[in-house]
Formats: sequence, C-alpha cells, structure tokens
Amino acid sequence: MRNLFSVTGTMIAAVSLATPLAAAQKNGTISQDFKLTDVNGKTVQLSQFRGKTVILEWHNPGCPFVAKHYNSGNMQATQKAARQQGAIWLTINSGAKGKQGHMTGAEATALIDRQDIQSSNYLFDTKGVVGKAYGARTTPHMYIIDGEGILVYQGGIDDKPTANPADIKQARNHVLGALKEMKSGDTISIAQSRPYGCSVKYAS
Amino acid sequence: MTFDFRILAIMLAFVALAVAPAADAQNRLGNTELNVPATLLAESQTVEAGQSVTLAFHMQPKPTWHGYWENPGDAGIGMSFDWKLPTGVTAGKPQFPVPDTLLISGIMNYVYKGDYAVLVNLTLPKDARPGPLPISVKSEWLSCTDEICVPEQDELSITLQVVAKGGANRLDERFDGFRAALPRPLGSEARFAVSDGLFRLSVPLPANVDIDKPYFFIKEDGLVDYGAPQTFNRDGDRLILETGARGDELDTITGVLKIADHTGFSFSATKGEVAMTGLPLASDGAKSEGNATLLFLALGGALLGGLLLNLMPCVFPILSLKAISLAKAGGNEAEVRRDALAYTAGVVLVATALGAILLGLRASGAAVGWAFQLQDPRIIFVLLALVTAIGLNLAGLFELPNVNFGNKLTQRDGAAGSFWTGALAAFVATPCTGPFMAAALGATIVLPPIAALVIFAGLGVGLALPFLLLAFVPAIRSRLPKPGPWLDGFRKAMAIPMFLTSIGLIWLLGRQIGTDALGLSLVFLLTVALILWWFGGGQMKGLSRGALTSAAMVAAVIGGIFALPGEDAMNSQKLANTSAATLPSEPFSETRLSELRASGQPVFAYFTADWCITCKANEAAAIQRSETAEAFEAADVAVLMGDWTRPDPAISRFLEKHGRAGVPLYIYYGPGKEPMILPQILTVATLTELVNGSLQSAMVDQSL
Repeated sequence: MRNLFSVTGTMIAAVSLATPLAAAQKNGTISQDFKLTDVNGKTVQLSQFRGKTVILEWHNPGCPFVAKHYNSGNMQATQKAARQQGAIWLTINSGAKGKQGHMTGAEATALIDRQDIQSSNYLFDTKGVVGKAYGARTTPHMYIIDGEGILVYQGGIDDKPTANPADIKQARNHVLGALKEMKSGDTISIAQSRPYGCSVKYAS
Repeated sequence: MTFDFRILAIMLAFVALAVAPAADAQNRLGNTELNVPATLLAESQTVEAGQSVTLAFHMQPKPTWHGYWENPGDAGIGMSFDWKLPTGVTAGKPQFPVPDTLLISGIMNYVYKGDYAVLVNLTLPKDARPGPLPISVKSEWLSCTDEICVPEQDELSITLQVVAKGGANRLDERFDGFRAALPRPLGSEARFAVSDGLFRLSVPLPANVDIDKPYFFIKEDGLVDYGAPQTFNRDGDRLILETGARGDELDTITGVLKIADHTGFSFSATKGEVAMTGLPLASDGAKSEGNATLLFLALGGALLGGLLLNLMPCVFPILSLKAISLAKAGGNEAEVRRDALAYTAGVVLVATALGAILLGLRASGAAVGWAFQLQDPRIIFVLLALVTAIGLNLAGLFELPNVNFGNKLTQRDGAAGSFWTGALAAFVATPCTGPFMAAALGATIVLPPIAALVIFAGLGVGLALPFLLLAFVPAIRSRLPKPGPWLDGFRKAMAIPMFLTSIGLIWLLGRQIGTDALGLSLVFLLTVALILWWFGGGQMKGLSRGALTSAAMVAAVIGGIFALPGEDAMNSQKLANTSAATLPSEPFSETRLSELRASGQPVFAYFTADWCITCKANEAAAIQRSETAEAFEAADVAVLMGDWTRPDPAISRFLEKHGRAGVPLYIYYGPGKEPMILPQILTVATLTELVNGSLQSAMVDQSL
C-alpha cells in the first residue's frame, strides 16, 4: 500500500516528461534536417547545402523588431555580406494562416522585391514544424550551421534588444561576428545569445 | 497590389506614433494613444533632503493588451528607464510586481494583463536645497496582445518639492496597493542544480504555508526552459521545483516564487545539490493530467484498502455475522438489496464525514493525519468502550434492539438497522485503517478537497463491497453456510477479535496517559461492562432497563473521559504549539510603540511571518525561550510583534524606514535611548544581555 504512493509519484513524473519540451537544437550537434517550400514553389532541403555555411532567419513582416532591421537596411546588408562570403541564407516564415505575418507566395514575392531582401530562399513553415524543431521563439531568431551541418550559433541578430533602429549602430551583429570568426578559424566568441523580438506566431 | 499590407501599415503607424511624441516631452497624465499607457506618480509630493521617495510607473493595459516583467520570458522585452535627475539624486533599481504566465503556442511570456505599477526609489542628497525638484524619465516597454506586439515609449516627468525637515508629508494611499503586489523578500537563500537537462530549485518555505498553483519566475536568462512545465514537491520546510533547463552557465540566480495571485517571494539561489524529495504538488501543465492519474490511483488504493479492512479484527466480526444475516433473508431479493444499500450508505457516509473532518482540521492549520482521532485519549476511550461493548454483545452478554450484529437471526433488520450497522462498522474500522490509508491519505493532501472526499468515499465503498456483492450476486449468497445452531458459537468466537482490538486500544491509551491513569480508565471500562451485564440480565428476564442503562452508560463514559489526566497536558501542549506563547506579545503598531516609549518602558519589537524560516528559527532558538521570557519580565520589557504573513502596508512602511525590504527585523528600544537594531541571527544571550544591560544602567541611574 505504501508503495502505491511512490508509484503515483513516478506516474506524475512520467506525465510531465511526456509533455513535449521546447525541442531546441544544441550547439555543437548536427542540426535537424528539413524540407520546406520556398516562395517560388521550389523544395529546399537543408542537407543539400552541406559544405557551405547556412544561416537561418525567422521572419514575420508584421513584427516591429523585424521592421527595425529591414526598414533600416541592416538585415539586407547582413544577408548580402553573408552571401558574398559564400554562405546560404534561408529566411523562414513560421506564421500560421490567419496569424500576423502570414503571407501567400505572391505577397512574399512582392515583399522581397519591395524590401530588396537578399536571402537565398524565402521558405514557408506554415505548420511551424521546423520552427518548433529549432526552438525558434522570436522574430528575428538566428541560427548558423557550418559546412559539416553542425549548429554553431543561435540567438539574436545583435545585442541591443530594442525596436529602435538608432540602436543598430552601436550594436554587435552576432551573425557577422560569428561568420568573421569562423572564417579566421577562431572559436565563436558568442555562440549563444538571447533572441529578442515578437513571439513566432505558430498555429498552435 | 494584390497582397495585403494593411497589417504592416498599421504596425508601422503604431511605431511612428510611439516614436513621434518623444520629441515633444510633456507632463501628461497617461498617453491615451498607447496600448499600455504609463503614468508617473510619487508617493509623496514633498521630500526632505537626504530622504528617499518612491515613484510608481502606473501601467494600465487596454483590454487584451499586456506588458512584460523584467525578464519577459521566451519572447518580448522588459522595460527600460533613462533618467534625467537633478545632481546628487539617485534612482534605485525598479521593483516589479509578481507577474503572470502567458503561454502561447509553447512560447512562454511573463506578463501583466491588468493594471500594474513598477516602483522606483529616488534618494535625495543630504545637501538638497528646498524648492522644486524636476524629475524626468524616458521609458521604453513592449505592449502586446496574444497576436501582435508594439514597442511603446514615453517621456514622463513630475516635479516634487524639497522641504525642510518635518515638512508636510501626505502619502498617496495607492502605493499601499502597489507595494502589496510586489514580491516580498524571503530572507533565506535557495539552492539550485542543473543536470541532465533538468533545472531543480529548493526553496526554504515552512511546511504550513499555503501554496496555490506555484510558479518560479527566474530573472536571469539562459538557465531555465521557460515553456517547460514546472513540477513541485514539498518536503517539510522546503519546496522543490523541477523543470527543463536550457543552460548551465550561472552560479547564482535570482527570481520570484509565486504562490498565489499577486503573492510571491523574491530570493536568490546558489548552485548546490538538489534532490527531488518529498511529496509531489501538482501544478500548471501537469496538474489536470497528473491529478486525474493520481485520483484514479488513489481511488483504486482506497477501494482496495476498504476491501481489506473487512478482514481486520475490528471489522470482521461485524461483517461476517451481518453477511450471514443477509444470506438467511435469501427469500426476499428486494429486501436484501435494500439492506445492503442502507449498510453501504452508512459506511460511505461515516467514512466521508471522517474525511471531511480531517480535511477541515488540516485546513485550519492543524498538522493532523489520518487516524487523527487516535491522537486524542478521549476519543480512544470512547472507541475502547464501544469496541468492548460490541465484544460483550457478541459474547452474548446482552442484545441490542436496533443495531444488529447477527443476533436475532430469525428476525429481519430494518433498513435503518442496516444503515447504523454500516455507520458503526466504518467508525469502528478507523483504528485499523492506518496502514491502509497511508497512500490514499498522501493523495488527499495534493488533491482538491472534492477529489479528496471522493477518495474517502471510495474507502467506504471498498468496505461495503462484500455486502454489495452478496446482495446483488445471489450465487455468492447461496454458497454461504446456512444459519443454524453453529452460528451462535461462531458469534461468540467473533468476540475474540473484538477484544483483541480492545487490547490494542488499551495499549495505545496507556502509551498516551501512562499506566496509573490507565488503571483508572479500566475501572470505568469495567463499570461500562457491568452496566451492560446488568442490562443483559434484564433482557433475559424480559425486563426493559433500556433508559436506565443508556443513562448509566453515558455517565460511565463521561466519567471515564473526565478521569483522563492527559486532557490538561494535551491542551497546554496544543497551546504551546499554536501560539508558542512562552514570551507573550502585543500586536505591533507605531502608536502603541510611541505610547510605550513615552511611558519610559523598554520595548522589544520583532517582525515575523509564517513563511520566514529565519524568523521561525530565531523565535524557537532565542525569543520563545523561558530564559528570555524571565529576563524580559524581570526588566518589565514590553514585547510588540508585527506579523507580516499577509502584506500589511503599515509594517511594510516601518520595515522600509529601517532599511529592510523584509522580515526578520528585531529592534530594542532602551528607555531614553536610540533604537538598537539587532542582528538577524539571535541568541538567548543577545536578548538577555540587552535587558541586563538596561537593568544595570537603571541601577546606576538610581544610585546617582
């Protein structure tokens, strides 16, 4: 009879462990492969870029923190610089239908054109599967994967968690910083930082 | 254009609106265009040089909007402050009220949905000159609905007056409410550990502090997985939390433990070992599922326990004879079923009532467990008399007219008789329930009261189950031995387990009241037996001695109760436990304090709270000690006690005035001397020396 209670305790522990935790990817591990469709209907798979550095950027055009980096041209400049170094830049929209920031292919194409977005592909993750696998919580939320498929950076775009474009000048751009250190063979000094922005507008 | 950019346009417009007004700073009382408008308030419009004044950012989110705690959680941004202060004036750290959780699609936000106030203390330099004191601050915060976010900012200003010492000082009463919503400093340090992706935290919190849906808000980022469910265990004076970890970089952390709406404690924690000991306290995510599982398991345990109880010496005799009496009624199905249901009702009702009493006692703060009734020698004595009487009845010493344990087998029991038999069985069963109820009782601590009562009822159903089976499955009934002359012998034999129960109760009683007193109790027990014998003798002769017997029985039992010596000792024990009044005290108030000081009496004031371990430790080790009490009495020290268990604005202000954010605080006011703040760890010597010191000085004064 007394054992009944410890059995009960174990059951509770099992119940709480069964609840899915935010399944974040860990730095230093092989990043989860995925397949998503881009604005042009093309299927893009992460593993097809092995050998190249890949940057993932979570995006929501309605989020003021995303607007801070796009209206100021900061994100486009970062994208351009990364791609000039031979990196692949995947912009991912995990906004569910009916939620803020969700776009059709045509709407996204027009946005890319209008804001001169420089990413390699703009991907739709309407069901939020990839976003949740990576534990993407905010827009923007940045990830860098090296040529061997290993996750080497995750976190914010920079270290000034504000919506004020004037702060960009004094901020350290963590993506450019990491790319520079990767190029020179140094260890990445800031491999993890706190992402800031709006929450990702997942379906559920 | 074919695409819809209205949302983006609206967002940008909001940003523009929020940014634009910053250019023309003005002293507005709330910006109505903001979704979470802020108003800057001061607790007092006037302030003296060298003193401090509390300011509040009173935030009033519009419906559906929310603002963020200092650590916003998975997404969002905390609040920033850019002060413009006159030279020498300093602003303290902002103090945020206890936040709420808001989980959207697995993303955890730490927010405020209703009005809230962030407090900041401004301290003036000693040389501040009287006159206006302009304060201005530019603040930024994030305002969100469940769908969208808008960064907002405002430039707020207020002009205070620096006044000479003793100048008018009217306090804004709203600040009492603002302060009550702040987390209170716990006063003791917690411990945390990170291993295998799990974050554990052990917080010192006395076992009797009520907790409702606890949640731990960590201030530092990167350690706790905010979205992961938090499970809590309670182990004596510690509350232990387990949740998902995200990193392991820090050695000290700070945070707020919320224990009810708008109630929480702030504390810091250092890295150490934390084991998940104690009993689980279901919470948040795991609550509904975990509770359902727990209820299901505990109910099963209670049913099984109840079923097994039928075999216990205190119940088996009643059960077996009752069962046979049911079997003999074989001819009338409906009657058998009615009797069984009445018996079940009696059992379930008494089991549930005992459970309800138990829960009630627990709720009122008594540390009782199941079989709590056996902690009271009076109840043991009543049970002893009852069990002995049943034993004598079974042995054939007397018969009872209504409650029937199998005698008068040819006669049918009424439904009422069955009901009372069931009630009696459940009550008499309690001494035997201990080991069976341990598991189910553990569950009743964790479960809401209704669910706990269901478990007690389940115990009753389990106890009555054999009867229900007998009544509703005729096949079982037909297998029972037919009543006959052997049954009388069986009934008498069943008196033996009943008397065994009596011996068990005598032993229990002896342990509580000692052998001398036990002897006296047994004399009363013998009286009970003799009365019943006499009653039985009357029955044989066909005389009705019922009324007289009842009166004599009541007299004997009451006499037995009054003869119990444990009563006084027990009451004083109870008093000592509840009020711990070795050193009596009056409730603290500033008025009473100044009265006492004006009368020249020395005063010892102490501030405590039920949730403060340090306070309780000091009280046990130094304050509530006879040495201290004697010394204080000899020196005629008045004792004032401020209880901060619930937030009390008067005590909050008093603590703040003495530079304390929380309890404990110990102050000694020697007559005509400056108040002396005592260390946070007290010893008997610290306290007695204080008074002896004042005695000595008083003697010196007299000799002069």
